[in-house]
Amino acid sequence: MSRVSENSSTAALKFSLGKSKSKLENLQMKGSTLKDITRPSDNPISNVEALSINSRVNDNKQYLRNSDYALLHLNVTEKSLEQLTDVLTKAKEIAISQSSDFYNEDVRKNVANEVTQLKNLALSISNKRVGQKYIFSGYSTLTLPFESTGEYKGDKGHTTVEVAKDFFLPINLNGYEVFYSSDDTSDKNVDPLKYVDPSKSQENQEAPVQSRELASVNNDKFEKRDNIFAQLESLAVALETNDSGLIQNLLEEFDDSVSRLITLRTRIGSITSSVMNSKSRLESENIDSAERKSKLVDADIAEVFSDITKHQNVLKSTYQSSQGLINQNLMDFLR
Amino acid sequence: MSDLLNIGRTGLNASKKSLETTGHNIANVNTEGYSRQRVNQTTNTPITKGGTIHGTGVRVKSVTRINDDFINKRLQKSITNSEFFEQRMDRMSQVESIFNEIDSEGLNQVVNKFFNSFRELANQPENETIRSVVRDQANLVVQDFRRINENLDAISSGIDANIKTEVIDINQTAEHIASLNKKIQSLEAVHEEVGDLRDQRDLAIRKLAESFDVNTYVDSKGKYVVSAKGVGTLVTGTLVQKLEVGTRNKEDSANGLAGSAEIYFEGKPAFPLTHKFKGGKLSSMIKVRNEDIVEVKTKVNHIAYNLSKSVNAIHRRGYVNRSLTKDEAGNVSSVDNKGLTTGIDFFKEPTSEKDAALNMDLSSAVKEDLSNVVTALSPNAPGDNRVSLAISKLQHERILGENETTLEEYYLQTVGKIGLETGKARLDSEQSEGLKAQAIGLRERLVGVSIDEEAANMVRYQHAYEASAKIMQTADEMFKTVIGIKR
Repeated sequence: MSRVSENSSTAALKFSLGKSKSKLENLQMKGSTLKDITRPSDNPISNVEALSINSRVNDNKQYLRNSDYALLHLNVTEKSLEQLTDVLTKAKEIAISQSSDFYNEDVRKNVANEVTQLKNLALSISNKRVGQKYIFSGYSTLTLPFESTGEYKGDKGHTTVEVAKDFFLPINLNGYEVFYSSDDTSDKNVDPLKYVDPSKSQENQEAPVQSRELASVNNDKFEKRDNIFAQLESLAVALETNDSGLIQNLLEEFDDSVSRLITLRTRIGSITSSVMNSKSRLESENIDSAERKSKLVDADIAEVFSDITKHQNVLKSTYQSSQGLINQNLMDFLR
Repeated sequence: MSDLLNIGRTGLNASKKSLETTGHNIANVNTEGYSRQRVNQTTNTPITKGGTIHGTGVRVKSVTRINDDFINKRLQKSITNSEFFEQRMDRMSQVESIFNEIDSEGLNQVVNKFFNSFRELANQPENETIRSVVRDQANLVVQDFRRINENLDAISSGIDANIKTEVIDINQTAEHIASLNKKIQSLEAVHEEVGDLRDQRDLAIRKLAESFDVNTYVDSKGKYVVSAKGVGTLVTGTLVQKLEVGTRNKEDSANGLAGSAEIYFEGKPAFPLTHKFKGGKLSSMIKVRNEDIVEVKTKVNHIAYNLSKSVNAIHRRGYVNRSLTKDEAGNVSSVDNKGLTTGIDFFKEPTSEKDAALNMDLSSAVKEDLSNVVTALSPNAPGDNRVSLAISKLQHERILGENETTLEEYYLQTVGKIGLETGKARLDSEQSEGLKAQAIGLRERLVGVSIDEEAANMVRYQHAYEASAKIMQTADEMFKTVIGIKR
């Protein structure tokens, strides 16, 4: 049988009191913060995972903002294309009705005014802005894309936006592909990182394009020969000069332009639905993330509070059991 | 008759001595390090008288303390251990709190916001306001790297200050042990062992054991020797070898900080002992200062260096956000009235990984003019966002190590490791605390004073005293009887 001394019993008592109290303190902390983790060492693995979830959630919030911005752009573009189609349809109707020799010169002259109005309308549509940006200027967003002569001042740039991780979508159409009848210049698989891929080291990257294809003089594609404005202009001139042959020739060009605009609207529509899809994906991902994070860092309230009660009872019984050990000794009975 | 009186007297003496010792034990019930004492008594030398052997009473042989060297050693080791882990837990908790992002913004979130501000800029590259948001966010990144660096350095210099006070304490304790050695030597030359002084010496050794692993032995000349494991002798009998602390400058320091403390024997600064101490508070602090914090700082510098470098590499390739004039060949000049038009750094280009976090800053070009925040890969293209996109993509690129981890993964690994180390230190500390409590319990059970026991002894010795007195009274009455014969 081992001896018990004054100090050994107080030391034992202090130790067990200290243990229960620190345990209770921890639980109290969980109870008041309702968090299972209050510092990295409480659970290093969960902590790190929670941090990376935070980043993912923040990234997704940014992608959602990007998506909203892209939608704004796409909607304005879509609206403009619609109005432009209306203008051309109207012009085509005029061309059809005036191509037969049913009308005389005077009537045609009057109608010519209307066509000039249509051209001005097309011009104002072409110079549409979102905020401070001209949406049909390619990369030259601060440059007015079309002057009244109908010459294109922008370039062929496509601004892309990241609407989900590594998912880039172009959000603009440049004036070239909208207003010039020409081959399809759309770059469906646009890769904005083609010349600046951060994953590659600098040495083996191609040099960035110094000069872009601008509305330069030596590029006849940008001449006003066959753009929408030129077509409207020609129609007005043909009406002025009463040239029904030219009017008939224009019909086909109007058809080309309208079908091109329809193709473009389809493209914008499909991009818009891609953005919508990725948005809903992101939103559901965020819900999953929030759930996962809660699992990692939030305390199980029921468990915490039942533990607190349990440990309070442990502490109480420690107090009670210490009574007989340190409050009395033999001296009390030697009288 | 006289021998009866004498026997009574010896009994009286012995009981009184025992009562005194009981009193001494009770008085010292709460004296730290006290071990209970007891009186060793033996029968007096018997004499032969008229052919029979007669006892001559009792003799007090010695007063000794109850002691067990093995238990003392074990307690000493457990103190050294628990102090080591407790100190480690304290310091690592300080380190950990710098990286605690559970309910506040830390580096991870700040860097994340930085990359997202570039995504925002990619939406509207021509927007001046967003450009300034990007610059502010970059400034926050710079500040947070500095915050981490400064806080880590503060912990290191706190450790330096503690090492200094620790060494002063150690020297005082060593002096104290030497003077106790002197007293014990001179007293024990004429008496039995002196329990009280030996208790005090053991207590001092235990105090020393908090700071480092202590070895004690008695050498061939009978001198009591105290040495620090791995370092050398501190006390030999009455002689003390003092320790001294000096500070090193940045180049010679063990942890790359100016004013870092080094320990050496008095007057021998050329032979540092700092890294030689084993166990206890000292080696624990030194380990955190020279290994843990240095490792964390290296990692943070690595992140700061690579972040600056890789953002710059992309940023340099683009053109400024101003309209630039062209020559006949259609090329823009590399300089305009506001400075360079391409090849601009975003962050101040770091020169080396060492102190990269401390020296991190925005480049002066970006500080001076917002149009130097580059977004376009081509000149005169305010809507070109390819550079911003590429910079924002750095967040997910594996640019660290052999192209194997992203900035975030690397940072989270670092934080994870700190968390693990701190958690481990906390567990170790709890465990060693338990072992220490056990060792204290063991010792106290053996050598501690029990009031109950002493009370029982008191009654016993008091009765013995009274009985001895009765013997003397009887002898006295016998004298009277003998003297009364003559009446």
